[in-house]
Amino acid sequence: MPDTIFETLGGAFDPELFWEYRGVLLPGLLYNFYVFFLTVGIAIGLGLAAAVLRLSPNFLLRGFGTVYAELCRNAPEYVVLIWIFYVPPLLLSVAMEQNISFTPVLAAVIALGLSSSGYFTETFRAGILSVPKGHIEAARALGMSRTLALRRVVLPQAVRHMLPEAMNQLVSLFKATTLVSLIAVPDLLYQVSIVAAREGKALPLYSGAAIIYFLLIFGFSTLAQRYSNPWREKSR
Amino acid sequence: MSTIPDDPGDVVVRVVDLHKYFGDLEVLKGVSLEVHQGDVLTMLGASGSGKTTLLRCINFLEEPTSGEIYVGGRPMGFQHDASGRRRHAPQREINAMRMDIGMVFQQFNLWPHMTAFENIIEAPRRVRRQPREQVEEEANRLLEKIGLLDKKDQYPARLSGGQQQRVAIARALAMQPKVMLFDEPTSSLDPELIGEVLGVMRTLAEEGTTMIVVTHEIGFAREVSDRVVLLHDGRIEEEGTPDEVILNPKSDRSRQFFSTLLH
Repeated sequence: MPDTIFETLGGAFDPELFWEYRGVLLPGLLYNFYVFFLTVGIAIGLGLAAAVLRLSPNFLLRGFGTVYAELCRNAPEYVVLIWIFYVPPLLLSVAMEQNISFTPVLAAVIALGLSSSGYFTETFRAGILSVPKGHIEAARALGMSRTLALRRVVLPQAVRHMLPEAMNQLVSLFKATTLVSLIAVPDLLYQVSIVAAREGKALPLYSGAAIIYFLLIFGFSTLAQRYSNPWREKSR
Repeated sequence: MSTIPDDPGDVVVRVVDLHKYFGDLEVLKGVSLEVHQGDVLTMLGASGSGKTTLLRCINFLEEPTSGEIYVGGRPMGFQHDASGRRRHAPQREINAMRMDIGMVFQQFNLWPHMTAFENIIEAPRRVRRQPREQVEEEANRLLEKIGLLDKKDQYPARLSGGQQQRVAIARALAMQPKVMLFDEPTSSLDPELIGEVLGVMRTLAEEGTTMIVVTHEIGFAREVSDRVVLLHDGRIEEEGTPDEVILNPKSDRSRQFFSTLLH
């Protein structure tokens, strides 16, 4: 019995199989990156906007920012993904009296973008709050507008402060891009599942996919730390 | 208002009957003063007497509860509409007036992600939108003046407190302000670093810079000021030449203040 387990596990590592299917697996991986970069853009844009709202002196804007961030943060990504894929197209179809559907990539980017923008809201907010009030006063005393002070004095410092946490969130976001296989975005995991079904070799294919994702994310985190730390330290 | 005399051209800052509340606490209880072109006015007073608040009202970092402030003859932070009613000034107008009011803070407040040089050129470039060459030339001149040309590419974290404060002074001067406000500029410095900052300020005073200085440095106040104001509990307790106020204060309270300060 132990023999068969080890024999089975021995088949978990099969790079040749991946090489054979590189024609579909590599484009699949590119889909992960494609979804990731689009999502990052949305998440950072919306996150920054919501953070600024949350810090507004106006309580309505502040409330709106808070509700937005909490909604995004507390709904499971998978649920948001499925919801965005099915519900808004349905509503739009009814409203505009024609058949509207979202492509899987569009739905994936919107859903993951919204989800992680909630986390970025908190990260940006904490980053902005970490900038001493005096630095902002110095800027305003020189005649800078609120926006210019935010752009030139607050954000450059906030980004340095929030970098470690933002890196973690980018890693989580990259991991979350594999969820898109569930609405048939042909990413690496999706392609692997197709090949696995065809070849009947679930073990090496899923294990291989896990290893590839691990190596990519581990490599990214290591590089990000090495290059971001000196840059952050330089000016403190 | 009848209390405002016709503007004699050389009044740079005029404060009229200024009141400021923080919640229920009245911090300024009707302060009026004038600062003339080229004058150095020093504001003394115990902590909590309102001197820092008064200074911060002048560039509208604090919003006065009532009263009026004029800088260069223009009302700061308020305006009168057609029917003569007092209105909050648009933020753009406040920003524009702040360009002419330099401020130096107790905590320096240099921006840590910019070098000394970048701190100095930032506002002239981005706010006044002056040409790069002119701004950089002026920045180098100011750095030389404060004796830190060799530190121009250092980040603030690599500078001593005294050096940081001198850069902060240069940063304010780079906007070529009509008046410089100093808010306890040496209070967070180690004793051995105070002299270099006061030295720069003394030079500015000799060159005819209009300055309002909140400080505890009595020696500096005596030597450099044209006029001294002593605040007590939100009101002006004494006002006059340094010798009048510091050497011959009128009230017992003032004498007591100076005796605690001079030991």
